[in-house]
Order: sequence, then structure tokens, then C-alpha cells
Amino acid sequence: MPLIIKDEYPEKLFREDGKRLDGRDKHELRPIKMEVGVLENADGSAYLEWGNNKIYAAVYGPREVHPHHLAKPDRGILRVFYRMSTFSVFERKRPAPGRREKEISMVIKDCLKPVLFLELYPGTSFEVFINVMDADGGTRCACTTVAALALADAGIPMRSLVSAVAMGKIDGELITDLSGIEDKAGEADLPCAMTWFNEEMSLLQFDGSMDLKEFSESLVLAKDALTKIHEIQLETLKKKYIEIQEESKGGENVK
Amino acid sequence: MMNIKRVISTIEKNYILSNLKKGERIDGRDLWEYRDWTVKNDVIASAEGSAEVTLGETKMITGLKYDVGTPFPDLPSEGVCTFMAELLPLASPLFERGPPGDQSIELARVVDRGIRHADCVQTKKLCIKENEAVYILFVDIYVINYSGNLIDAGGVSALTTLLSSHIPEGKWVDGKVEWTGKYLTGKTIVNELPMVITYGKIGDIIFLDPSLPEELACDGKISISVTENKITSIQKSGYATFSIEEIEMLSKKSMEIGNMVKKELNLEQYRPK
Repeated sequence: MPLIIKDEYPEKLFREDGKRLDGRDKHELRPIKMEVGVLENADGSAYLEWGNNKIYAAVYGPREVHPHHLAKPDRGILRVFYRMSTFSVFERKRPAPGRREKEISMVIKDCLKPVLFLELYPGTSFEVFINVMDADGGTRCACTTVAALALADAGIPMRSLVSAVAMGKIDGELITDLSGIEDKAGEADLPCAMTWFNEEMSLLQFDGSMDLKEFSESLVLAKDALTKIHEIQLETLKKKYIEIQEESKGGENVK
Repeated sequence: MMNIKRVISTIEKNYILSNLKKGERIDGRDLWEYRDWTVKNDVIASAEGSAEVTLGETKMITGLKYDVGTPFPDLPSEGVCTFMAELLPLASPLFERGPPGDQSIELARVVDRGIRHADCVQTKKLCIKENEAVYILFVDIYVINYSGNLIDAGGVSALTTLLSSHIPEGKWVDGKVEWTGKYLTGKTIVNELPMVITYGKIGDIIFLDPSLPEELACDGKISISVTENKITSIQKSGYATFSIEEIEMLSKKSMEIGNMVKKELNLEQYRPK
């Protein structure tokens, strides 16, 4: 059945003053807000607001593997479940996970794996559940970023954090951090993630068209953006412990 | 971080029970007292109505999406309002992935029945053209953190979502739907505000708003949906049995508590003027 209002794209993605539709400069990130330890029941959890994206991530593990045949005798396994809520997008999403969600889950899993010491946890599983409550472009990058935070919050040994951002090209210009509309109407979308222990790319996808010069320029610009995101992640993790420290100094009982 | 298991230890169960016998709860509440509520509306930009509700540590986000479809043949001039609940595996180690289980279906059904039988959603206002086009509303409840009593929180979050809804208004022109540029809001589509109130029972002790340990320890629960002066639905779950006197007492109490909570949360504030 058709919806009454169509999801329409504007012809131009830059305003007359040279700024993007949401008022950002070419390489300006959307406002990012992160928080850790937001879910009581999880071993580790994080919440992220990235522009209009609202995402919860929770980590359970190390715990028993279900179904049992997936367990590996020599190492632990990492499982990532990326899911979108039905109301997070323009047209209601069907509640059952689709092919897109399964693919993104796999991409995020492969991205996070290099930072974990899975060989230290034979026979167990780490499960990362990521739920996008509201979506507005770049969810796979936002999810990778928030999943890394949740893993760190769970106290799981990690080589480093992982940060991700989507680079892109709209109206012939390179930009950082694509919004939903820029993603759909733009010319190229380049989500990438960096593992900071070796400063290498751990997630890299590309859709659209760019020449080699633009591509390498994008990767350089990506690193600047990733550095900023990494800073915010570190601040968020530190903040939790500063708060605990201050609470205990005040003579109150720590939770 | 909580250590939650499917089974509650006998010692904890006995502790809960001995406290209840003295008229006390393990979290310091009165037998007829709710945990703290918080309600926020319009939290999801992509949804046509949304709410974030917490009851103690229980937390959920509800959103509304719409579609235009053909009406049911027996109700040609009435729209449809459906409810779905998803118990996300991130909300509790007790929840598993996969298709909806008994608990999530019960949550959606009880919330649905409470609202459906209460003259709450004005389905006649959701009709664009008789026999041809009506609105189908999807109210989807996502549980973010599970700490007992999902049903009461689900009821309030579904209601707040409907109250704060803003659905593009369509009209029937030459055999198809055209958008008028105006919106249908909670003002037009919601009338009565039914509240669903859940009690737990252990032995012969009944108490309001079971928390997670109480839910795991209790013999059964009863959820009663009420409007200002009417009962609209009842659901008993678990193996506890309730005497006729108890049911009468709870029905009466539900109206008192329902009106009190409605006032305390000031749900009317989410209805557009």
C-alpha cells in the first residue's frame, strides 16, 4: 500500500551559502553525544546520539554459547546483532531482521574482532546487541562506534577502541559524516572504521563513484574525523570513572 | 550490573515473602505503591508519535508508524490500530533472539485489549474513504531494559505515543488519497485514557507493580485495565488463583490507582490543544 507522502530528495545538496542542508560545513561532524553504562542488566552498555541517530548497544559475555555447536574449543566467539526498530525509518520496517541487517551485523563483527583477545576465552561467546531506535544515515558507523564503547564498558580486554565515520561525495564535493538524505541522494558513500592499536582500517565499504585522487583524499580526511570521534569515546569512558571517583570522595556509597 | 537467573533462589524467595508478610517490600515500597515513573514524548524523529517510559529500572521506547490500506469488510469505515512488542535481547539476559515469544505476545495483547475496549482510539476518525482507504496504525513497543512489570509501563507508553501522534491527514480525491498538509493528532484520534494496572500474588498476599525479583518469585499476576469508571480488560497469568472477593477488591482499587497515576503523570499534557 502506498504511503501518502513520498520521501523526496532535493535537487541540490548544498545551500546557497555553501553550507550543507543541515547547516554544516563540508567536513563538520553532526553533534555527537555518548554515554556508557546505561542499561542495568547488561555486562556493558552504551548509548549514542549522532545527529538524529539514536542507538543502544549492550554486551553480554563471556557467557555460554547457544546453540552449543557454535562454540570453539580454542577461542571465544563474537556475535553481533544489528537491528533497527520498526519506527526508525521513513517507511515502517518489518519487525523480522532482513538481509541488510544481517550483512551489517557481519561487517560490524568483522570490524570489532581484531581488537579483542578472543583466544583467552575458549568455549564462550560475547554477544553484542545493537538497536537503532532512530536512524538518519551512517548507522553502521555509529553502531560500530557505540559497540566498541559497550565492549569497553563491559571491561573486556581490548587492544584499543574502534571509531567509525562515513565519508562521501555530494554534488561533486567530498564531505565528512553523511546524513540520511546525503547518503540517498549523494554520489558516493564510504563508511570506514579505524582500529587505533595499529591505526589501520578495519571496516571499509564503498558505494558510488570517485576517482583515485578523491578516494585517497577521503581517506586522509577520514582520519581527522576519526581522531575527533576517538577523543569523544575516550572522554565518555573516562567520565564514568571520574563520576564514580567523585561519588566515593563525597562519602556516598558507590553503586 | 545485576546477576539475573531464570530461577530465583529459595533464600531470596523466602526473604521476599517474609517481608511481604510484614507489609514491606524488598525495595522499601508499600504494598500499593508504584516505583518511580518517568514519561517523555516525541523522542523519535522518524516516528509519527513516540514515547520513552521508565518504571523503576524498566525502560521502553514506543513508536508509531502508519500506512494506508483497505478496511476490513465487516468494518468498512473504521481504521485499524495494531500493537506489537519486542523484548530486545539487549534488555535482559532472560530474553532471547528470534521470533516473538509468549511474553512479548502477552504484553502486546494485554496493552491492545485494554486500549481497544475503552473507546480510546477513535477508529472512525481513521477512515479516509469508506470501503476504500483507512489508516493502519502500528504501535510498536521496544523494551530496552527489563526489570519487571512490562505491562503497566507498556500501557502508559502506548497511550503517550497515541496522544502525541501526528499523522498526515489525507482526503479521497478522484479515486486516490491526497495529502491535505494538515495532521491528525492525539486530540482527534484519542478519547478515553485507559490505564492497565498489574498486581503480583505470593501465597495470599497481593501487591502492586511487581519488580523483577518479585515477578520471578510470585505465583501469578493479574492485570486489570480500567477507564475512569469501567473495567475494560483483565488478564490473569501464572498459576496463582484469586478469590472473588480479591478480584472485586482489586477492580475497585484499580480505578483509584488508575485515576491517581493518570493525574500524577499528567498524561493529558501530551494531548495537543
